[in-house]
Amino acid sequence: MMRKILSLLLIVNCSLLIVAPLAHAATPTPDDKIQELRNQLITNIASRVAQLKLVEKRGMIGKVTNVTNIQITVVDTLGNTRFIDVDELTKFSSPNAKGTYGISDIAKDATVGVLGLYNKESRRILARFVNVITIPFIIHGGVAKIDDENFSISVTTIGGKQMTVDVENLTRTYSYTQSAGYIRSGFSKIQENYNIIVKGTLSTNDKNKMTATRIIIFPEIPASPKVNSMLDKVNKSSQ
Amino acid sequence: MKTEKLVLSFIATLFGLLAAGIAFYFFQATKIVAPSNTKVISFASPTPTPAPSIFLTLDRPKDEEVVTSKILIISGKTNSNAAVVVMTDSFEDVITPSNNGDFSTTVSIDDGQNIVEVTAIAPNGESTTVKKTVTYSQEEF
Repeated sequence: MMRKILSLLLIVNCSLLIVAPLAHAATPTPDDKIQELRNQLITNIASRVAQLKLVEKRGMIGKVTNVTNIQITVVDTLGNTRFIDVDELTKFSSPNAKGTYGISDIAKDATVGVLGLYNKESRRILARFVNVITIPFIIHGGVAKIDDENFSISVTTIGGKQMTVDVENLTRTYSYTQSAGYIRSGFSKIQENYNIIVKGTLSTNDKNKMTATRIIIFPEIPASPKVNSMLDKVNKSSQ
Repeated sequence: MKTEKLVLSFIATLFGLLAAGIAFYFFQATKIVAPSNTKVISFASPTPTPAPSIFLTLDRPKDEEVVTSKILIISGKTNSNAAVVVMTDSFEDVITPSNNGDFSTTVSIDDGQNIVEVTAIAPNGESTTVKKTVTYSQEEF
């Protein structure tokens, strides 16, 4: 009999020990509710801050190397391969497009401008706007030859390339000297071996030919030492 | 008896290997190589690339920055005697840096992506170029 009573007491004690905290937890006080709300708010703010720091708006330019339904691979202006993710919210456009324009219309080797959300962790851009664009072609070098008859000049670039630059009516030529500063100039003022910067558009047929929109010459500054050595070779071969 | 034999043969093998190793070491140490059989390999030190006489750093704008104003401030530092050429799609200017090499100018940019190309040219013709992409957009996303 005594053993039964002891067992019963033990069971009752154990059940009390288990039920007591549960009963306490089941009926939260107003203070607990406020605390819980506060914790949830802190968690939400923290995750939002992390999200904001992790993702930022970015715009970039690149040459398309590959296109799939969900991704565009481009090589950016610094020569890095970049991955652009696209989704149903991404808008595509092209100045030459007639009607609707989509990802399937983007051709390999096209130059695109991408605006979207850059994820610092994955280093990928989720594109919101993808536009096919044309960027100006800029060369810097020394004047190798001047063709007065055809209004064109031959420029040896710092990279060692020979470019034929067509000068047209729309081309504006400027000159920079220490004394006069940056002033308007003309085709007749361009001389061989001048340091020169040309901005324009590259010919679609000939990669070594361009049409200039702006020319800046530096009469007081010689062409780069690298270019000078190449200019000598060009001058010797033309003689 | 068998175990004794095994242990003895193991010890004998060990001694044999040790003796052979010592003999091989002495043979190698006393070996003389004729000078005609030796070859001197010299590594030519690479020609040092001359350090460029010009430097250029751009503080503003940041690369791939998205801006909401069409007027953009471009600032940076270069050699004080350099000519700084600033070019965008629709703008170009040549400026002279201050005595400590600092330069700053404002340029106008077009809608969408713009390439800002800044070139510093030293009096001896050496130059360096920095390119940055800046996007003008007021889109909310």
